[in-house]
Amino acid sequence: MKKLFQEFIKGIIRENPTFVLVLGLCPTLAVSVSVANGLGMGIAATFVLLGSSVIISLVKKFIPDQIRIPCYIVVIATFVTIAELCMKAYSPVLDRALGIYVPLIVVNCIVLGRAEAFACKNSVAASFFDGLGMGVGFTLALMFISLIREFIGAGKIFGHTLINAFEPVAVFGMPSGALLVIGLLLGFFNYLKRRKA
Amino acid sequence: MKEIVRYGFVLTLICAISAGLLAGANMITKPKIALQKANEEKAALEEVMPQAEKFEAVKISEDSQYYKAFDKSGIFLGAAFKASAKGYSSVIEVLAGMLKNGTITVIKVVSQSETPGLGSRIAEAKFTSQFSGKDSALSGVQAISGATISSRAVINAVKQKAQEIKILIENEK
Repeated sequence: MKKLFQEFIKGIIRENPTFVLVLGLCPTLAVSVSVANGLGMGIAATFVLLGSSVIISLVKKFIPDQIRIPCYIVVIATFVTIAELCMKAYSPVLDRALGIYVPLIVVNCIVLGRAEAFACKNSVAASFFDGLGMGVGFTLALMFISLIREFIGAGKIFGHTLINAFEPVAVFGMPSGALLVIGLLLGFFNYLKRRKA
Repeated sequence: MKEIVRYGFVLTLICAISAGLLAGANMITKPKIALQKANEEKAALEEVMPQAEKFEAVKISEDSQYYKAFDKSGIFLGAAFKASAKGYSSVIEVLAGMLKNGTITVIKVVSQSETPGLGSRIAEAKFTSQFSGKDSALSGVQAISGATISSRAVINAVKQKAQEIKILIENEK
């Protein structure tokens, strides 16, 4: 049990997909304009990660090594399409805000990366917690980045205007601003890590 | 040779299973998605024609249409229509309502991806509220400073379409 908890917790800090593994930056740059978008994207990616990790680790013996990549992609694409359909049916506003980035989870390297690096070598339970941990880590990272960007770039937090004191810095609402925020945060986290060591 | 057949079989099986799953998911969500779309359209129409209760789509040509708006007792009030124009970095789509005397009621920017913070402000009430109560000539609508192209696109799109629709509904009862 303790080991499974370790698998879960490592995705959040020690092997955070955005800040440590630096995977899946494309959707991160594009959707982290508001916390609501970040959360929605994070939940969709977590669902896909969980589903594909469990299924791939279930059928890992059945899939021949030589054709594993197409098999993984089919499994991942299935979960992504289900997530997209559900989003369209139950939350059209979020669907419109995330746009093309939901179908693009198929090629998100976190998902394929976890399938390749973890799910195809480990038990179903371990893969479940690994997928959950990575998903939660991704969601938290997205929300953290979008919190900063939403505040500086639009002057809002969770869609509410807090203070009207300053003119929002428009560049933080664009992907270039996201790169700046991610770069500075990465540097900051690395600095913290080095000081600890 | 034997290996190839095995690979083919495994991949086919996986694809077949996921196709089945997707068909199921599609069947469950399809009516909900259609309902969401219809609700959204109705809500948008009600927003631009607040007094109207019932809408009826009228086709002008193959790919353009407008909506006739009626109140509770079925009296013709005016029309709602979609207008679109190329802005600075995207095609801007606007939904507008018009009373039968040609006065614009409310306009609403339905879709745009103009520069955030500049052009995107055309969707804000500060800009769109200027249209309310104007006739189809739209004189006196102020463009947003720093977003002249986007503002003009909206103004011209609404103006052009409004004049077109005005002629169409003039003789309606």
